[in-house]
Amino acid sequence: MTRPADDPMRGFGGALAALGLATAAHATSLPSWVVLLLVAIGTWRWIANRRGWPLPSKWLRGTIAILAALIVLGTYRTLNGIEAGTAFLALMAGVKLLETRSARDLTVIVFIAYFLLFAAMLRDQRLMHVPYLLAGTAFATAALMRVHAGSAGESWREVLQRTAVLLLQALPLALALFLLFPRLPGPFWGIAGKESARTGLSDEMMPGDVSDLSVSGDVAFRVRFYGDVPPPAQRYWRGPVLHEFDGRSWRRARGQAFPLQEVEFAGAPIDYQITLEPHDRPWILALDLPGEWPEREAYRGFDFQLLSPRPITDVASFSLRSYPNYRAGVMLPRSVRNKDLQLPTASNPRAVALGRALSARHGEPQAVVQAMLAMFREQPFVYTLQPPKLADNAMDEFLFQTRKGFCEHYASAFTLVMRAAGIPARVVTGYQGGEMNPIGGYLLVRQSDAHAWSEVWIDGRGWLRVDPTAAVAPERIERGLIGAMGDDEPVPGRLRQESALWFRVELTWDAMNDFWNERIVRFNAARQSDLLERLGFKEPDWRTLGLGLAASLAVFFLALSAYLGWKFREPSRDWPARLHAEASRKLKARGLALGPSEGPVAYLDRAAASCPDLARDLAEIRTVYVALRYGPRPTEADLRRLKHLVNRLRT
Amino acid sequence: MPRLIRRLRSLLDARVQAWIKRRQGIDSDPLLLHRRRIYILPTRLGLAYAAMLFGMVLGGMNYNNNLGLGLAFLLASLGLVTMHHCHGTLTGLGLRLLATESAFAGEPVQFRLLLENRAQAPRPRIELSANNVVQEVVDVPRDGSAPAQLQVVATRRGRIPLPRFTVATRHPLGLFRAWVVIHPEYAAIAWPKPAPRGLPPPGVETDTGGAQDRAKGDEDFAGLKPYQAGDSLGRIAWKAYARGQGLHTKQYAGTDVVSHVFDWDALPGLDTEPRLAQLCRWVLDAHEHGEAFGLRLPGVLIEPNIGTAHRQRCLTALAVFEPGGAHDSAS
Repeated sequence: MTRPADDPMRGFGGALAALGLATAAHATSLPSWVVLLLVAIGTWRWIANRRGWPLPSKWLRGTIAILAALIVLGTYRTLNGIEAGTAFLALMAGVKLLETRSARDLTVIVFIAYFLLFAAMLRDQRLMHVPYLLAGTAFATAALMRVHAGSAGESWREVLQRTAVLLLQALPLALALFLLFPRLPGPFWGIAGKESARTGLSDEMMPGDVSDLSVSGDVAFRVRFYGDVPPPAQRYWRGPVLHEFDGRSWRRARGQAFPLQEVEFAGAPIDYQITLEPHDRPWILALDLPGEWPEREAYRGFDFQLLSPRPITDVASFSLRSYPNYRAGVMLPRSVRNKDLQLPTASNPRAVALGRALSARHGEPQAVVQAMLAMFREQPFVYTLQPPKLADNAMDEFLFQTRKGFCEHYASAFTLVMRAAGIPARVVTGYQGGEMNPIGGYLLVRQSDAHAWSEVWIDGRGWLRVDPTAAVAPERIERGLIGAMGDDEPVPGRLRQESALWFRVELTWDAMNDFWNERIVRFNAARQSDLLERLGFKEPDWRTLGLGLAASLAVFFLALSAYLGWKFREPSRDWPARLHAEASRKLKARGLALGPSEGPVAYLDRAAASCPDLARDLAEIRTVYVALRYGPRPTEADLRRLKHLVNRLRT
Repeated sequence: MPRLIRRLRSLLDARVQAWIKRRQGIDSDPLLLHRRRIYILPTRLGLAYAAMLFGMVLGGMNYNNNLGLGLAFLLASLGLVTMHHCHGTLTGLGLRLLATESAFAGEPVQFRLLLENRAQAPRPRIELSANNVVQEVVDVPRDGSAPAQLQVVATRRGRIPLPRFTVATRHPLGLFRAWVVIHPEYAAIAWPKPAPRGLPPPGVETDTGGAQDRAKGDEDFAGLKPYQAGDSLGRIAWKAYARGQGLHTKQYAGTDVVSHVFDWDALPGLDTEPRLAQLCRWVLDAHEHGEAFGLRLPGVLIEPNIGTAHRQRCLTALAVFEPGGAHDSAS
């Protein structure tokens, strides 16, 4: 299929495909009507281009554009922000398709495709999306080339090849820009919140309902310890603390401010850096109990949970110090005590009665705790991820009938009984455990490591962590979820445990993700100046960056110019003459200089006469040279022969 | 206001062009484009691209998104790479003026050029434009050449110089336009626009040329003369050629009996241009009818003859004629 060089719609198919690829990156988040509309317009335009149908009038296009903008505005209440902006841009691309008739329009389509890919990167910069987005970028570039490259854009293979060459040539400078371009701390304008739901802890816990968190193998966060790694039994990562119980579900304390309690730390601290996957909540899953944190990036709530001022919508990392040994709270404020003793009226009567009975029998709060744990341990309680569903008085049913459940059930039942016994208690959710990734040297915590435990207030000792699950299934704490489960229960990662190769593949992939998060996603002004210092710049500032940028640009320009000069070089056509010159250089070393008026043949004859040892070679050189220069059909073989002969001339 | 801006722009343009001409002078032929004379600027699309990248950098900073910033940097770098490729596409391109094709005043004259590429990489999308109008877009293959044409409408008869023209490219991504301004010294001939048919040609002259010597019988074979370019192919003595005697044209008695000499002085009372137009008309008609004709202008005499080359010679004489000028010959 050849087209005239000036066909204005050359490259239309490529531009359309690039737009399709870029939109597909948003397919799950865009409203389905936007996607359908785009597909419809694209298909129609494709057929119209083939059949030569007329394009819609200006008025129709204008109406569609305004309607689309209004609907987006109505849906999102804004055109700012990634979601609304993307929908708007995608619709504008559709409108643009309706008026596409020249190379310039096609270029604009490709630009929109670039920007849609950019928006997809803004939304999610996890490593798993990167190959697709980069491939989309490369394809859009190829489409752009097809629009502008004339007959060189005819074959897709050639276009893709040339695009790859251009992108590879662009890579070094892109890298230099990435490392040296000054990073200003954003944001410059308000970032609209994202409404997408991601897996992660919720601030509500409902034992008896099925939780899908425990079967998700997704990464929750990664931790790099600066010193020793704490043993599994100490790896409690503190998330939301739940205070309010309505008989069925646990919630965080709302609508009330509580006084902060003091914490005394003892023993050696644990220093680490935690890198959280985005979960759209402000929680920082610090190791129990966080003692120091960066002032501007985090704060500690009254129930000792570490929080970020903003929801974590992107990969975020924090350097923290925690103490496994602590005394949390010297005295309990009345409001907190009331909150954590609150019991729903007229629900779970048997559990409440059990709490009252334990209190009456043992008196001392610590004895009550031990008695309850002993009950879990000694009676036939079973740890399972597939507990039976529970009805209204869920805790009663769990404690006295089914006796099957996982951490949520145990923590919930335990906390309820403690409150009934008059001991302030609350449920703490978070993660427990994690596995070391030996390849990356960090601790990997998955969503399936989500856990719930209890905290009780003992006068004089503060808030104490009590993990009733440990009483039932100590291996859950020591060996993780897989170790705690029976062989017939589906657990994420079980396959991994069975196949060493797959295990390695998974760990390697995770290490790559970690590298990506640490080195690329989390690269910022501080790391930039670290890097420059390591390169030997003392106290790097913006001048260093400017200098570095200028230097890289200069090097890049020179290298590229040199390369292109070489690429567009004139082929050297006169190899015989060059080889003759080479031969005369060698003969000159033997005292046989080419005379000023001596022709090449006469010179070779004279040389052959005066150097008997070279006579045969020189005679052949003469013959081949004459054949190459003056013969009717010079051949490659002759040229090779001449090269060989000249090269072996001895000086 | 827009008028003022337009005037300012054209003024600026003129200044720039004058500067370029001062800098480069008249160009030789053939010409090899040296990189120092190649100008390059972003196109409108290139500016839009830059604006898009600026938006990306802002957005990337705002969202502290390194992947997005990385994309912006990659595309920025890509833009700079294409700038070099665009420049390289023109560097070392050879340009040769091949031929001109004359035309009558009012019609376009053609200038045929050859774009030569001795490099081992193709040079696609080379645009040739004169007077800011792109006339042709050609792809020059690697180690090859591509013909191209420029045409200029002849507003008058005479020498029509090839105006300043540009050779440009937007290859590979259309973000940059590299161009070279060329000031050639080259002209085509525009013939006078022929007058409408009507005035009959002057009568046969018998005292000029040798045609009447053979004007005895009619359609009788009168001998062979050596072939000259322009002789009718139908009159070539193919048999003689087959015998190895070379190309000859058969002469017939009676065919050349009509022999005109179109004389400037035969048209008194007309101005220069209408006179030339009338002469042109006669020349064309006579040629069309296969008649021999000559031409006499003040200071110019062309003996009667036939053939395309002769017609060309006469038309050229008419084209470049300057009344009162000291012309001795216009061949």
